[in-house]
Amino acid sequence: MRAIVIEDDLTIQQQVVSRLKKAGFVVDCADNGREGLYLLQEYPCDVAIIDLGLPVMSGLEVINAIRKEGKNTPILILTARGRWQDKVEALDAGADDYLVKPFHHEEMMARIRVLIRRASGWSDSRIICAPLSLDTTTQRTFVDDREIDLTAYEYKVLEYLMVHAGEVISKTVLTEHLYDDEADNDSNVIEVFIRRLRQKLDPNEDLKPIETLRGRGYRLTLTRVEQASVK
Amino acid sequence: MIVLVIFMILMAIALEKAVVKRALQAEEDKLQVMIYSLLAAVDKSPDGLSVTVSNERVFESRLMTRDSGLYAILYDEHHQQIWGSRSSSESAVWKALPKAKNIDVGDWQFSTQPFNNKHHFRLVFAILWPDTNDQLNRYNVVIWQDAGGYLRQLDHFRQTLWGWLSITIVLLLSVMYLVMVWSLRPLKKVGLEIKAIEDRKQTGFEQNYPTEITPLTDNLNILLSREQYQHQRYRDAMDDLAHSLKTPLAVLNGLTDNDSLGRAELVTMREQTARMNQIVSYQLQRVANVVGVKINKPINLITFIDKISAALEKVYKEKGVEFKSTLPGSILIRMDESDCYEVMGNLLDNAFKYCQDKVHINYIDTDDDEIELNIEDNGSGLDSLAIDRILNRGTRLDETNEGQGIGLAVVAGLVKSYNINLRFEPSVLGGLKAVLALQVVSS
Repeated sequence: MRAIVIEDDLTIQQQVVSRLKKAGFVVDCADNGREGLYLLQEYPCDVAIIDLGLPVMSGLEVINAIRKEGKNTPILILTARGRWQDKVEALDAGADDYLVKPFHHEEMMARIRVLIRRASGWSDSRIICAPLSLDTTTQRTFVDDREIDLTAYEYKVLEYLMVHAGEVISKTVLTEHLYDDEADNDSNVIEVFIRRLRQKLDPNEDLKPIETLRGRGYRLTLTRVEQASVK
Repeated sequence: MIVLVIFMILMAIALEKAVVKRALQAEEDKLQVMIYSLLAAVDKSPDGLSVTVSNERVFESRLMTRDSGLYAILYDEHHQQIWGSRSSSESAVWKALPKAKNIDVGDWQFSTQPFNNKHHFRLVFAILWPDTNDQLNRYNVVIWQDAGGYLRQLDHFRQTLWGWLSITIVLLLSVMYLVMVWSLRPLKKVGLEIKAIEDRKQTGFEQNYPTEITPLTDNLNILLSREQYQHQRYRDAMDDLAHSLKTPLAVLNGLTDNDSLGRAELVTMREQTARMNQIVSYQLQRVANVVGVKINKPINLITFIDKISAALEKVYKEKGVEFKSTLPGSILIRMDESDCYEVMGNLLDNAFKYCQDKVHINYIDTDDDEIELNIEDNGSGLDSLAIDRILNRGTRLDETNEGQGIGLAVVAGLVKSYNINLRFEPSVLGGLKAVLALQVVSS
């Protein structure tokens, strides 16, 4: 998954980026609103973490601008100003959730995962496309009840395909969401990951979970199953 | 006004005294003239050893008329009557008249004497008159006059004086009162507007005033604006302080993600940063609540509830909360907008956080200008001890739920500053019901 972090306090920015990277995210960051808006407009991302009190252009202005352009990127706002008026204004402007500083990073990650699932229509931390199931919290993968051992990048590819189950995902998009810009990207690496996934998930080749659409990309063929929300 | 009335009364008393004195003097003068005219009628007695008055030469007709009320008597030095006017000699009155005491020759003695249940004036004049042997003999000429006429006139004067004075005083007092009321009316309006400002019903003086009062109200409006501005500045400064304190706290909190730290150190660090954060949040909120006099125009509570509930429905989307509101389109209350956000935001957030899947908001009319606003959820509810604890500063009952932990304590402080009663009860939905007793503004 790819995230954009817009936070002017560099220490907090680095802490958030570090936490996201640890969770397997590719992260772009900016320390002012204008640069952050540019990143949001130019680069695809699965979630944006935006501080409200930004220089040059405020977080609220960034949110207003990106929503006006019709982008539905899930947005989590960070704010030291815990006033309800500020929270409501930001949520009314288009943010999807808020976090008041200081916050626990586990809480931040949990809210980010919820926003990503929500954007894809998933309401639970377990994504199920039977017989495949993936727990986004523990990052464990199962085929029926059998746990499958995946590498970090294999997990990332599978997670992206399952979150966007039924959608055609191009190699480019996959690459952008798995690697940061500085990495030496090779589209063949994606092919290798796809092949390995097929071998691990479907050794007998009777499931065929991932479909290749020549010239277009890949698509998860398994039907998504909505699990009843745990209340 | 009282001073003026007293002054007028004193003037009337002085006038009355002056008139009475002058009237008495006039009576004495009249009696003197009569005595002089009697002296003109004095003649030697037939034996030459005394004197007498020739009735034919007495010009005052009342001295000749019986019971006219005017009597003249001539006494010798032994107080023996040697002549009496016909008005007295033909009546028994003169016999009973008290005799005048001797006075020095040439002196006049004027006095008021009661006689026969009536007041009389008496003038006495002592003279020396030579007899035929040229021996000077002393005589007293006494003239009596019934003071009834004088007294009647005096009474009439007094009635007229005091009657007109009373009417004048009443009229004067009435006019002065009306003038005072009319001239003080603007000040009364000022007083009413000050009360409205104190009651937070308006932010400044809004009525038109005479030019004499306008400098006062204009300056007071400037003072109030300055006060509001200072209040807002202080709140903004507190807010900025909170922001600047929370950022380093967030950095410290982030360090707890450092795997190189031991478990115990991690726990301690988290506890301490959480505590610092609660202290900062609560104390700054408390200070912002008590600063200055908040003067608030009416706001529509429904607008705030709608915005906050829409935001919370977004945040708690996965929970699928059924939010039901049976509130009317408008409920006007007097509260600062920011405070309204805090009160309703914290109460609704608690309801959404702890509910299973239902949050209902409704109201009851308790009085003409008071309602009870109820926010209910179908969560697990709380007992009264737990409610007391969470209303107190910084206590978090449920550590597993995200939150600052001081939200309801902030609400408790805020509603107290507005004299709003807040209580918690079990809800029919199964969870907790927050009840706010709110004063509403009639539209």
